[in-house]
Amino acid sequence: MDYFLFGSLFYLLGGIIPLFFKDKDKSKVFVIFASIALLFLFPFSLNILLGGDKIESLFLFNLPIGTVPVRIDPLSAFFILIISLGGFFSAIYSSGYMKIYLEEYSLSSFYFFLGLLIFSMLMVVTVQNAIMFLIIWEIMSLSSYFLVLFENKKEDIRKNSNYYLIAMQIGAAFLIAAFSLISVKSNSVDFLDFKSLLNNQNKYSFLLFILFFIGFGTKAGFAPFHTWLPKAHPSAPTGISAIMSGVMTKTGIYGILRIISLMDVIDPFIAYMIFYIGLITGIIGIINAISQDDIKRFLAYSSIENVGIIGTALGLGLIGIVYEIKFVALMGLIGAILHIINHFTFKSVLFFGSGIIYSQTHTRSLNKLGGLIKFLPITSVMFLISSLAISGLPLFNGFISEFAIYLGFVKAFSFSNVFVNVGAILGLSGLAFIGSVALLGFTKLYGICFLGIQRNEFHIQPNEKNRLLLTPMLILTGMIIISGIFPYVMLILIKNILYQFLHYDFEKDFKFISDIYGSISIVLLVFLALALFIYFIRYLLLKNRKIEEFKTWDCGYQITSSRLQYTGGSFVQPFLHLVKEMVPQKIEVKKEQILFPEKASLVSYTHDFLEKFLIQPVVKFLKLSMELFAWIQSGKMQQYIIYGLIFLLFILIWIFGVS
Amino acid sequence: MVKIIIYIFLIISPFFFVGIINRVKALWAGRKGTPILQAYYDFLKLLQKGEVISKTTSFIFRLTPSINVASMLIALLIIPIPLLGSIIKFPADFVLFSYILGFSKFMTVLAALDTGSSFEGMGASREATFSTISETAFFIIIGTLALLTNRLSFESIFLVLNLSSGYTALVKILLVISIFIMLLAEGSRIPVDDPNTHLELTMIHEVMILDYSGPDLALINYAASLKMLLFSMLISNLLVPPSLSLEISITLFLLLLVLIFMTVGLIESLIARIRMSHVPQFIFVITAFSITAFAIVMFFLRGGY
Repeated sequence: MDYFLFGSLFYLLGGIIPLFFKDKDKSKVFVIFASIALLFLFPFSLNILLGGDKIESLFLFNLPIGTVPVRIDPLSAFFILIISLGGFFSAIYSSGYMKIYLEEYSLSSFYFFLGLLIFSMLMVVTVQNAIMFLIIWEIMSLSSYFLVLFENKKEDIRKNSNYYLIAMQIGAAFLIAAFSLISVKSNSVDFLDFKSLLNNQNKYSFLLFILFFIGFGTKAGFAPFHTWLPKAHPSAPTGISAIMSGVMTKTGIYGILRIISLMDVIDPFIAYMIFYIGLITGIIGIINAISQDDIKRFLAYSSIENVGIIGTALGLGLIGIVYEIKFVALMGLIGAILHIINHFTFKSVLFFGSGIIYSQTHTRSLNKLGGLIKFLPITSVMFLISSLAISGLPLFNGFISEFAIYLGFVKAFSFSNVFVNVGAILGLSGLAFIGSVALLGFTKLYGICFLGIQRNEFHIQPNEKNRLLLTPMLILTGMIIISGIFPYVMLILIKNILYQFLHYDFEKDFKFISDIYGSISIVLLVFLALALFIYFIRYLLLKNRKIEEFKTWDCGYQITSSRLQYTGGSFVQPFLHLVKEMVPQKIEVKKEQILFPEKASLVSYTHDFLEKFLIQPVVKFLKLSMELFAWIQSGKMQQYIIYGLIFLLFILIWIFGVS
Repeated sequence: MVKIIIYIFLIISPFFFVGIINRVKALWAGRKGTPILQAYYDFLKLLQKGEVISKTTSFIFRLTPSINVASMLIALLIIPIPLLGSIIKFPADFVLFSYILGFSKFMTVLAALDTGSSFEGMGASREATFSTISETAFFIIIGTLALLTNRLSFESIFLVLNLSSGYTALVKILLVISIFIMLLAEGSRIPVDDPNTHLELTMIHEVMILDYSGPDLALINYAASLKMLLFSMLISNLLVPPSLSLEISITLFLLLLVLIFMTVGLIESLIARIRMSHVPQFIFVITAFSITAFAIVMFFLRGGY
């Protein structure tokens, strides 16, 4: 426990101490503190994950908080591992990246809130007292809000961060409702005492779960509460986008997992709900992602997709638990938990890469990039590997988690129940659909950004001299490859978490899946060797022959211009046409209305279906109904004093009335 | 041993099957046609040549042909031969089958974008778009087979498939047609794509490989024909009844392969390519058929609901 507290405190201190240093040195100080914190937290969480004893300590506060238990079981340890790694990588990356802001902004607030954010995330996944949890949850939301707001001189960033703040507060409102209800009914604020209320037989269990799900789901980014992600992630500095997308959204998942781990019996409806919401979230996320022109918005939508995959897998696991199809339950949970850490690895690399692109070219718009592979070779290789991984393709870790989910779906067919089977076929094809659309999306992202000819002139020649930006990416890419080819390593890491959800002996099934992963390792190694062998033969064949370099064959068309290349928009147009009902497109054509028009332009936008038809109408309705009460706020001090007096009078009457 | 010999035969055979298609087309058009082994001569000739490579391209362009061939070969080893089984097998191996094809598709699309040519971008875009439909449908087909047989891998699924009831036959017919359409779509054949034209506006696969030459083009052609063989092997597996003796079922398996490629040739002689904007509708047929098959299995064969 001491290790954990020291580690967390070092992150907090890492935020405070730099306040006393010069702007130049702040990042170094923070990195030092983050490294020390990692040294404490990494072995600690690993130890618990690999079978060390669970840890529990009680901290006594005054009323109304009372005793605050800090419990660290494998589930918490897993998230501590991700948070501490994410915080560390983000610190190293930011120390290189934040230099571009040095002239305009002070980094004090940045490091202060980054330290606070990581500290609060570490607390969120360990503290098990409802009131303390909510306080820390708010600190987490607020510190990330200030980080999103970092470039506060820009109008759109202020707007987006306010949107984020409001979304977080709405989510928190549901959590407050849920925790209040459960605390009142159970007469306790300790999570462990909530068990009886969350059980199936209780009349509140269902309502409670819905409240919790909305509250935590907003943080995680489940549809239709996902609309803040594409606004907040692009606004934050890149190191923060990575940690928000790769790590902070996972605290929402942690919340859902924690609540589920407290349930002994699971309502089938809850299982199906998580399953279908996950599936819909995944599809909506990826379909919206591919229509984006801004790299970071694209990545934010793809985070929604991945949260959707995690939700689908979790739902599958719960369906397995409900119907006691042990193998399905195991596969669903393995898929969900593996995908949490896998998404952290590849999404961090992708965000870090997008930051390098942005800092070198000063644009995030796909239509202005191109040909970057020549300038940023190392970044491009790592970006390619993560793109392959996030599309779930073999050799990399995305495939491993999706494979477990697929295996669960296929196994679910052997259980004769129409709901399970229909769910399985929808999940099977839905996941395949998400995967293939991700292929379309990430070939677009990578192909348009890095390949071809550059589209616009850059201010400076892009380069990757800044090694600090590359280091975290290299380590993470290493993790992607190792866990992709040797998935068995990851299985050992998560095994103890499974015991918290599956209350039966799953050793045999676990052995089964690790054997399968063993065969996959061998096949993938053979594949790799085969590809290299064929490439070697090709190399031998061409060794003494003439290899001419020439321009790309232009089919007889003589004018060469980089603008003739396929753009991101044109690349995905056929697909967007297929799904135009789900991604409404608005096209504005401007033509001069004269006989020989010389200038014309076409601009197209896409909308998020749910945001346009669900969120915005609700907001509009709320706004209209609030305006009915606008007269209350008159701006006259006298009137406000009268309100106060009336209120006091009311309280007096009430108190006397009651007594 | 027999198994390995057959696999070696299959690995070297794809150009032979391409020859069958071309021969059928020639005969139907009243021509004599090129020798049936013409594709091998082309392959060998290309291997002996040098290359012209675009200045715009990067390592992705050079690496892609080798990756394509490697992934097709791995995919081939996952598909079983009747009664003998496959070389690579583990539960849910069809996921690897589909995703390793996806890997090769990812790289091909990137290689096309690597050249910075608008034509190749167009082909890449179409390839990736159409695969979103066919890939989804493929997993419905797999789901149907898994539901029908309660098995988890290609080998065991095909081992227990039987023709006992009328419904099973119906399911098989639907699935055979579905996979056949997949073969046409993924293999870039008429009516989805025309491997012989060089009119860029209408092409998918051919337009993506415009900039390849020499050994790289040879590898790409080999991978493309291997890919068609993969899907025809799946169809053939579905059609061979399991209760025959080993010799007969293997002969039947190989004969069916020839028959399937003859059908492809026949279709190419008989119908024209459909309009590009209608291709998605054509590929959606797979989804419709496989969902129907799934429903039949669920409500008539499994019963008990």
